[in-house]
Amino acid sequence: MTAGTPTMAVKPAAGPEAKVKLLLVDDDPDNLLALQAILEPLSQELILARNGTEALRMCLDHDFAAILLDVRMPEMDGFETAELIRSRKRSLQTPILFVTAYRSDEQLFRGYNLGAVDFLFKPIVPEILQSKVNVFVELRRSEQLLRRKAEELERTEQRFRAVLEAAPDAMVITNQAGVIELANSGADTLFGFSREALIGCNIHSLLPAWECPEDHPAVSPKPAAEQRLIGYRDDGSTFPAEITRNSFHTAEGLLITTAIRDATDQADAEAKIQKINLELEKRVAERTAELRYSNDALRQFAWAASHDLQEPIRTVVTYSQWLARLMEGRLESKESKMLATIEEHASRLNQLLGALRQYIQVSDSGHHARTRVDCNAVAKAAIWNLQGMIQETGATVDCGPLPTIMALELPLVQLFQNLIGNAIKYRSAAAPVVRISAQEDENGWVFSVQDNGIGIDPKYRDYIFGVFRRLHGSDKSGTGIGLAICRAAAERLGGRIWVESAPGCGSTFRVALPA
Amino acid sequence: MRIFLAEDNLGDVFLIEEALRRQSLECEIDHYATAEEAIRAAELCGETSPVPDLMMLDYNLPRGNGSDILAAASRNPRLAEVPKVIVTSFLQPEEMAHAVKLGVHGVITKPVDFEAFMRDVGAKIAAMLRGGSAKAFGMEGD
Repeated sequence: MTAGTPTMAVKPAAGPEAKVKLLLVDDDPDNLLALQAILEPLSQELILARNGTEALRMCLDHDFAAILLDVRMPEMDGFETAELIRSRKRSLQTPILFVTAYRSDEQLFRGYNLGAVDFLFKPIVPEILQSKVNVFVELRRSEQLLRRKAEELERTEQRFRAVLEAAPDAMVITNQAGVIELANSGADTLFGFSREALIGCNIHSLLPAWECPEDHPAVSPKPAAEQRLIGYRDDGSTFPAEITRNSFHTAEGLLITTAIRDATDQADAEAKIQKINLELEKRVAERTAELRYSNDALRQFAWAASHDLQEPIRTVVTYSQWLARLMEGRLESKESKMLATIEEHASRLNQLLGALRQYIQVSDSGHHARTRVDCNAVAKAAIWNLQGMIQETGATVDCGPLPTIMALELPLVQLFQNLIGNAIKYRSAAAPVVRISAQEDENGWVFSVQDNGIGIDPKYRDYIFGVFRRLHGSDKSGTGIGLAICRAAAERLGGRIWVESAPGCGSTFRVALPA
Repeated sequence: MRIFLAEDNLGDVFLIEEALRRQSLECEIDHYATAEEAIRAAELCGETSPVPDLMMLDYNLPRGNGSDILAAASRNPRLAEVPKVIVTSFLQPEEMAHAVKLGVHGVITKPVDFEAFMRDVGAKIAAMLRGGSAKAFGMEGD
C-alpha cells in the first residue's frame, strides 16, 4: 500500500476454499488500515477504495460478499456511493454496511432506505466487525456453493440433453403413467409434433400399445428387449416403431426412457424378403408340380409304350415258335437258324419290356401307405421266386435274422429278388454263395447282400444302377434293368443303394432303409 | 358252343381258334375287333344275335376296353348267366379289381410261349364251357 496507488488488493494465502471478496471504502488511509487489520483474520480477499468513485469502479470488476462503506467522505459521501452501487445491476444485491461515527435517526433512516443491511459505529469493536462481516462471508460462501451446485446441475442437465439430442433414435422420458416429461428433437421429427406439444402429453397417443416395463433396473439391469409397435404421427399416419425401454428410479418416482426407431425400412426389407421367399416357394412348388407332371406323363408314356409294344412282340414270339413247330423237319438248317434268331430276339425284346414295366411300377410315386414288413418273410419270398435258378446253379443262399421295418412289401421283394438273382447270375467258377444280413445304424437299417461272384470294377459302381446298363455281353443273360429297379425301389422306400466290390473278390450290395 | 370274342389282335384270334381246335371244341366265334362293336353286340345279344356260351374279352381294345364291354353286358339281362373272362397279356391290379367288380368270372393271361398258350388257354376255355365257373381256375394275375 503506497501513495498514488488508488486501490490495494490484499490477497491472502490461497485457502482450501475460494476466497470471497470484501470491499472496504474509506477516505482515511488509517481507517482503511485499521479495517484491514481487523478483517485480516477472516482470510478473505480485501479490496480497498479511498473514495466513492474508486468503490464504484471496483464494483464494476468484482462481486463482493459485502461492502463496508464510510459515510463521511469528501466529494461523494457514503450514501451517494451506496445509491450509485445499488443502481447497478451487478451490485444491486450486494450487502452494504455503513461505517459512521454518528448515531442519528436521520442517517439510519437514509441508510436503510438505500439498502444498507447494517450500521457499524465508530469506534469499531473488532470482534463485532469480524462477526458481522463473517455472516456475509458465510452467506456468500453458501451462495457460491449453491450457484456452483446449480451450475453443476445445469451442466449435467445440458450434458444429458446433449446425449439425448445426439441419440440416433427418438427418445422420450415418461413417468409410469406414460406422461411425457422430456423428449429429444428426434421425437419431434419422428412424430411430427412440436416439443411443447409433446411434453405433458401421454406416450399412448404416439404408441398406443406402449406399456410401462414391469421389471426395473434395480431388479434386473438388463436392457429391455426390443419391441415392435405401431407409431402414430401427428398427421394420423402410422409407421412400424421399434422401441426399447429402460426405467430408473428418481425422487419423483419411476421414470421410463423409451427409445423409438422408425422401422419402416427394416419392415419394408423384411416384407420384401418375405415376398421373395414366397415367390421362390411358389416357383419351387410350380417347378415341382411341372416336374411331377412331366414325370407322371413320362411314366404313363413309358407304361403305355411298354404295354402296347408287348402285344405285337408277344405275337411275333408265339408265331415264330408256332411256325418252327409246324415246319419242323422241313426246313434247311439255315432257315431254322433264321427262324430261331427271330424268336430269340423277339423273346429278348419281350423280356426287356417286362423288366421296363417292372421298373416303372417300382418307381411309381403313387401314394401307398407303408406297413410293417417282416424282412425275413420278404427274403423268403424272394428266395422262393428264385428257386429254379438256385437249384440249377447249386447256389447257397444264407439269410441272417432280418428286422421288421415300415416299408412297401412289393418293391422290397423286388429289391431282394433282384439282388439275390444278380449275386447268383454273376457267379464265378465256384458255386454261388449268397449271404443276406442287416445291421442297425442311427438312420435305420443297412441290409447287405454279399456274394462270391465275379465282382464289379469300382469304376462302374454308379454306372450299373442306370436303366439298360450292362457290363456283360450275351454270355450273361440280363435286361440291364435289374439294378435300376433296385435303386428305384430303395429310393421309393426312402433309402439308397450302393455296392462295395472289386473284380474277383465278390460284391456286397448294401441298401440303407429307414426303420 | 358259341363264343363272344372281343379281340383286336387277329393273331390272338387265330391262336385261340387253334387252341379250341386242339381241345376238340366245336365252337362258333363271334369276333369283334373294337370295343365299340363289342359293346353294341353285347347290348343286342338275344335280340339280333344269339346269346353266347362264353364271353372272352381282351382288356385293351380300340375305342374302349374290357370293362366297358362288361358294363354293357351287365345291362343286358340275357347275358347275366353267361360266364365272362378277360383274356389279356397283362392286367394292372386296379384294372383287375375294376373288372371283378363288373362281374368278370376269371382272367386268362396270354402266355408268350406257343405250347403254353395252346395248353393253358385251351384248358381254361374248355373248363369254362363245360360248366365251370370262376372256381374252375380261380382268379389270375400276371
